[in-house]
Amino acid sequence: MENHHASEMNGVVAEYLNMCIESKHNDLCKKEKDSKDSADADRLCNIEKAYSTVLSELGEDVDREGLLRTPLRAAKAMQFLTKGYKETTQDILNDAIFDENHDEMVIVKDIDLFSLCEHHLVPFFGKAHIAYLPNKKVVGLSKLARIVEIYSRRLQVQERLTKQIASAISEALEPAGVAVVIEAVHMCMVMRGVQKMNASTVTSVMLGSFHDDPKTRKEFLALTMRK
Amino acid sequence: MEHSKQTQYSSNEKKDTGDGGSVLNGHFDGMVKRPAGGTVRASAPQPLGAECGSHRSAASVMESWREERTRSVEDNEMSLPSLAAAYTTILRGLGEDPQRQGLLKTPWRAATAMQFFTKGYQEKIIDVLNDAIFDEDHDEMVIVKDIDMFSMCEHHLVPIFGRVHIGYLPNKRVLGLSKLARIVEIYSRRLQVQERLTKQIAVAITEALQPTGVGVVIEATHMCMVMRGVQKMNSKTVTSTMLGVFREDPKTRDEFLTLIRS
Repeated sequence: MENHHASEMNGVVAEYLNMCIESKHNDLCKKEKDSKDSADADRLCNIEKAYSTVLSELGEDVDREGLLRTPLRAAKAMQFLTKGYKETTQDILNDAIFDENHDEMVIVKDIDLFSLCEHHLVPFFGKAHIAYLPNKKVVGLSKLARIVEIYSRRLQVQERLTKQIASAISEALEPAGVAVVIEAVHMCMVMRGVQKMNASTVTSVMLGSFHDDPKTRKEFLALTMRK
Repeated sequence: MEHSKQTQYSSNEKKDTGDGGSVLNGHFDGMVKRPAGGTVRASAPQPLGAECGSHRSAASVMESWREERTRSVEDNEMSLPSLAAAYTTILRGLGEDPQRQGLLKTPWRAATAMQFFTKGYQEKIIDVLNDAIFDEDHDEMVIVKDIDMFSMCEHHLVPIFGRVHIGYLPNKRVLGLSKLARIVEIYSRRLQVQERLTKQIAVAITEALQPTGVGVVIEATHMCMVMRGVQKMNSKTVTSTMLGVFREDPKTRDEFLTLIRS
């Protein structure tokens, strides 16, 4: 009977201990979240102050009505434009890979793309065309566009952006081949510097059969670069 | 309303206290002098139209132009280090590593780029226009269209770009055509709101030439709407300012709008 009583006590104690651990865990989680939130808020505050400095150093009147909340808006805009740093392909791709017995080319083209030039912090934008030759695994089509978003919403160089998109698809799907073509207009060339209005930059990355087989590449280019 | 705040950088003439309107950016006080179709401004009697509350003489017009400059090339050089430091803070705040190779000189490049995008604060209409006003006996519409325009949204510090179409009906005085594009440059290379930009261009041409009428139409894409926020890729914003006979006579306005469409 003592044993029974002891085991009952053990059960109660165990339960109590579990509750303690759980609440401590929740507390820790909350603290972590709070500290993460406050770290985020701190960062936003720093960026906001930096933008205030920028406005006054440019000779503007920071107290005029139109500029009163601009540092905050600009800081939030900049955070949005670089939100790709916080996202990973794993987060978005894990559920959307399907087994499918399809081995013909899949192309998603004219994906609007917006990024920031890492050299001048000025936007560049254009279109991305992605193709892959599935090897028993296909991916949800919008996920290709989401991969573009993850890597483009960062401080980027167009060459690296193209390569990152191609590598991400390659690693996730292990297809027979991947091709990515990006055609973009760089505001740093249009609005300043050489000021060439109509110039655009085209970069491409070909992996697997797109790289090895010229016919595959030709088919892809014919299907996407049609005007 | 008088904008009398002096920034530490304005080493130029003091603000004029006499005139009632100013085109200093952000303070467009709406005192648009309608062209009276007359000759010397000093003798212009009553201003036309309901909004004109101030009577501006020729001298005050010139002085309002003089007020425009708030920045000089030396100011740019002096503010470059603090601008670069601010951009380094921004890079760090975004979670990037300012020491990596691609970002090493970015603060300086971004600071210089931003100064270029706001170089309209360094320039004066008077410098650009003084020599290029000619007496010409021409009173038909003159249009310069499809002038590429690049500006910065003053709310998000993100680019705005588009096209400007300008038309005016000369009244014995014509302007060198590229000067219209230069006026666009001066006002667009600032932190702007599209409505204000349109009006500033129209008023500057009015003040320079006293034409019978001026029409300005701007069609632009706002990256703050395309790249973030609502994310509407194909949206365009169109604003227009019609002064003088362009406002009063619908046929003139129609002719202008038809010609810029074609």
